[in-house]
Amino acid sequence: MIWRDIWREGYFLLRKKSVLLLLLSALGLSVFSVWTGSQEVAAQQATIARLLEADALDRADVLQQQNDYGGVAYYSFHLTYAPPSPLAFAALGARDVYPWKHRIRMLALEGQIYESDTGNPELAQAGRIDFAFVISVLAPVFIILLLHDLRASERAAGRDDLLNVTAHSRRALWPLRAGIIVALLSGVLLLPFWFGAFAHSVPCWQVATVTLVCICYMALIALLCYWVSGWLYPAPVLASMLLGIWLLTTYIIPALGNEAIEHSIDGPLGGDILMVQREAVNGAWELPYSHTMDEFVKTHPKWADYTEMSALFEWKWYFAFHQVGDQVAAPLSKRYREVGKKKYQMAGVVAWLSPATLLQRTLTRLAQTDAIAAREYEQQVRDFHEQLRHFYYPLLFTSPPFHRDVFKARPTFEPIEYTK
Amino acid sequence: MMFRIWLIAKDEWRYWRRSHLAMTVLMIAVVLAIASVVVTFSTVSLAAHQRAHLQSQAEQKFVEQPDRHPHRMVHYGHYLFRTPPPLGRLDPGVDAYTGTAIFLEGHRQNGATFSGQQHSAGLNWLSALSPAFVMQILTPLLLIVMGFGVMTREREAGTFDFLKIQGVSPLMLTIGKGVALAGAGFAVLIPVAVGALITLFYGSSILSVSAFVFSYALYVGFWCALVLLVSTLSRSHVGSFSALIIVWVVTCLVLPRIATNTAVVTVHSPSKLETDFAVLQKLREMGDGHNANDPAFKALKDNLLAKYNVDSVDELPVNFKGIVAQKSEADLTDVLNDFAEQKMEEGVAQAKVARQFGWLSPAIAIQTASMKLAGTDLENYQRFLREAEAVRFAFVQSLNKLHAEGLSYADDVNKYQSHETLQKAKVSANNWQVLSDFHFVPLPAAERFAGSIQALLQLFVLWLVVSIGVVLAGRRQ
Amino acid sequence: MTDPVISADALHVSVGNKTILKNVSFTARRGEVLALLGGNGAGKSTTIKTFLGLMTPSAGTANLLGQNVQLQPDIVRQKVAYLPESVMLYGHLNAVENIRYFLSLAGKEKTDDDIALALKKVALQPHAWQTRLQSYSKGMRQKTAIALALLRDAPILFLDEPTSGLDPVAIDEFNGLISQLASQGATILMVTHDIYGACHVANRIGLLRHGELVGMFDAPQDGNIDAEVVHQAFTQGLK
Repeated sequence: MIWRDIWREGYFLLRKKSVLLLLLSALGLSVFSVWTGSQEVAAQQATIARLLEADALDRADVLQQQNDYGGVAYYSFHLTYAPPSPLAFAALGARDVYPWKHRIRMLALEGQIYESDTGNPELAQAGRIDFAFVISVLAPVFIILLLHDLRASERAAGRDDLLNVTAHSRRALWPLRAGIIVALLSGVLLLPFWFGAFAHSVPCWQVATVTLVCICYMALIALLCYWVSGWLYPAPVLASMLLGIWLLTTYIIPALGNEAIEHSIDGPLGGDILMVQREAVNGAWELPYSHTMDEFVKTHPKWADYTEMSALFEWKWYFAFHQVGDQVAAPLSKRYREVGKKKYQMAGVVAWLSPATLLQRTLTRLAQTDAIAAREYEQQVRDFHEQLRHFYYPLLFTSPPFHRDVFKARPTFEPIEYTK
Repeated sequence: MMFRIWLIAKDEWRYWRRSHLAMTVLMIAVVLAIASVVVTFSTVSLAAHQRAHLQSQAEQKFVEQPDRHPHRMVHYGHYLFRTPPPLGRLDPGVDAYTGTAIFLEGHRQNGATFSGQQHSAGLNWLSALSPAFVMQILTPLLLIVMGFGVMTREREAGTFDFLKIQGVSPLMLTIGKGVALAGAGFAVLIPVAVGALITLFYGSSILSVSAFVFSYALYVGFWCALVLLVSTLSRSHVGSFSALIIVWVVTCLVLPRIATNTAVVTVHSPSKLETDFAVLQKLREMGDGHNANDPAFKALKDNLLAKYNVDSVDELPVNFKGIVAQKSEADLTDVLNDFAEQKMEEGVAQAKVARQFGWLSPAIAIQTASMKLAGTDLENYQRFLREAEAVRFAFVQSLNKLHAEGLSYADDVNKYQSHETLQKAKVSANNWQVLSDFHFVPLPAAERFAGSIQALLQLFVLWLVVSIGVVLAGRRQ
Repeated sequence: MTDPVISADALHVSVGNKTILKNVSFTARRGEVLALLGGNGAGKSTTIKTFLGLMTPSAGTANLLGQNVQLQPDIVRQKVAYLPESVMLYGHLNAVENIRYFLSLAGKEKTDDDIALALKKVALQPHAWQTRLQSYSKGMRQKTAIALALLRDAPILFLDEPTSGLDPVAIDEFNGLISQLASQGATILMVTHDIYGACHVANRIGLLRHGELVGMFDAPQDGNIDAEVVHQAFTQGLK
């Protein structure tokens, strides 16, 4: 019986032009989002490949031109990057807002790390269409359009009573009809994603998780729409109410929450970090060497016996005051990062009032394209910079003879590896 | 005639006053409009104040520096902070997505740092509570919910024929309904218009304020006309509502993002890092400005020696190292600017692809017009980058000139001999007055207006097409 | 005597604090056609809706085949075919598709031949069978719906104003069909304000006024109810 019911309602719904048209546009949007998402990921990977090549060439070049360790340290740039995860095609996330590539050198890190090589700001502001957007923002609109007049249209046409008394069981009609619509919609939205996931060799558990999360989300919206669709109002009133709820939770609550969070937390301004760091670094030229070296030794006691200057300018002193510059700016910088982290955490609380935001955060977390991933990458850059200092300080302070072979041991940046 | 139109409009308003749905929606929209103006105004004003403060602090720090070697000051550098333009208080545009500070130093063009968006809670991934968002996205929805039934209701209730018999022409009825709808739209526009007027006290020009308000009025006009058209053509109010909602979703939510994706896919713009590598490649062929003995500067040296008729650089009346610094900075800047211009052009090319979608979506057209008039679009941001570069070049070169003329070559090359020579190789702190006052001003109003003409034209054409449709559909009734 | 198929037992229905049916009782046996007559707002449609289980009586019971519809709602789905006042089947489907859809909804399986036979029985021209219902006249839609009711093989039929809006020829055809169905054993409850049509087909006529059953007329053994008598009773009440 149940299969005949499903077959009947499925055939019935697909004969409706409006349903078919909506399903086809949903499919089109999903295909477009997956396709352009894949293009974007491919472009990011190609960029990384080109950068890696140019970066290696450039560093080799510097190494040939320089004749002391300090010179190599000063002139060498190191590429760091966070490659897109396999799932990134579906949730491009904040990768157009946060940098995912940096070239850093041995100088004070605080002066370098906030530089952001991101894309076109006008396009970033307009936003992109990716699979996560299609599911979290547009899928509810599709569900509302498909389900709001489930009952109201039958009532307006005078069929409601006839259908109710004809159906051999209650379940065989309204819940089944709504269920089939939502199932069809989920199918056309998820199908392109599954193809994309296969092409990008996304791990099975991630595909399953995304599928499950998306289906739960759509089921939640569908239940709400189903419930409201039973109310005795004309279809446009029902749709207005549902769209109102959607607009409120998807657009207005997050925007209000954002303002509230921005106003509730005070932290250092980015500009302050830069100024403090710069004053510390540049002021050192006029200060006695001992001043810089004392500060330096506080964090690097290992080199306490090597701080004597044999000339007016030595690289070890130069890099020491860069280190000190970072140390002076560190509390501000730490606070700045903590504030950023805190804001994102608070946003997580607000997200519980906005299912779309919650879904977006879930998907970008899975795809590692969110602010958390961006901060992890920033930490990776900081760690790598620290490694560079560990590599160079012995060479600068103990001044062994210059051998280019030494640089074979120079740390290289290891990008994040994604589980397969 | 006018009286009858007025009567029809008044009747529609009475209908809305008695409809819970219409009144609720209108109240919410007006409250949101007011809230967005207040919130955005205060947020952007605070940012403007903070940045202006940081700017004067940066200038003060620079002139307070002690006696130094001029090249030290080239690397000490200078910070510029971008203050938002007055109308940015209503449409912040790209402000949050661009760096707010830029570090200027010798030999390098740094990117802008600290974009507000990176440091935000990230909840504005879809929308910020800005007047621009309320006007561009929410107001059309308001007009749809209030107006989808203006014509279908008359037809379904049979009052349409009744009115016709009374001598009310369909066109008159349509215009009356249009006036009523426009009234609702303008109710939301008023807080924004008041906000725009207030920006006059913050230095915006009358031209840009009036064009800004006018563009939004035109946008509201478009949606009124569209709602009328669809309501006239639809057989039922259900059909009218669904059709309008679909048009709204497509033009306001989907098309702007499709435009972005299309722009990114069609115009390739390499990242700044890639450009940096290209610059490096080019520079390797040109010589290092820190090293006056670089063979690349041999021709310069020979010319100078010939000019002053001396045999070695020690005998030159100017500091050869300073001359090399000047020359190499100028050459380098040419190269940097070539690449920077190319990169900016690519950015504009991408934006232009996206803006072409304004012929299909009035939301894109109004976004472009609004940002251009407010001075918060991509081109105005690039203007900031260009002005910053001009400031950078000017202060670096005046320090290099000081290097060449205020410091002898002998003192310069021997500076690391002893503490005394190091002291000698410095110039007086009085020279640090080279910085000119920097205050970023967006493009002049007339140019901003000229830049917005295409977008305004898009809006006007869309409005015209739909309005003609309304008239034709009205005649057919 | 057989047990009544349809029986109303002191039905009392109110919506809010407004009473719509007051103490209404009647019965109809197998093969009988019971017509309820009444003016606008007399409570005719409410009676049908109560029997369909769509409205709940505040007192009294509505029974079908001896079962209370409130307690056994499935009896309605299994035994009743219902013809609403304005029959709006799906406009985007043709007659055969509509019938097939509703039959499947009711859990019935019928062959194409069965459907063709039913459509012939209601005299819907075969060239219209494959046309979508959005271009049908009211009469054609009515015929499709009656064909559907026939195919349901339901022992009980509820008809809500079945002849309103039909032309005289169609009314005659319709009345013929009703009599035929009744003679085959169906029990039919119809509400109408067409006195002459009702007298033509009904075995019994109940007169409803302001929610009360104010008169009951039985047909003589070998003929129809006298329309004049009913008409008089009907209009008297209106004065």
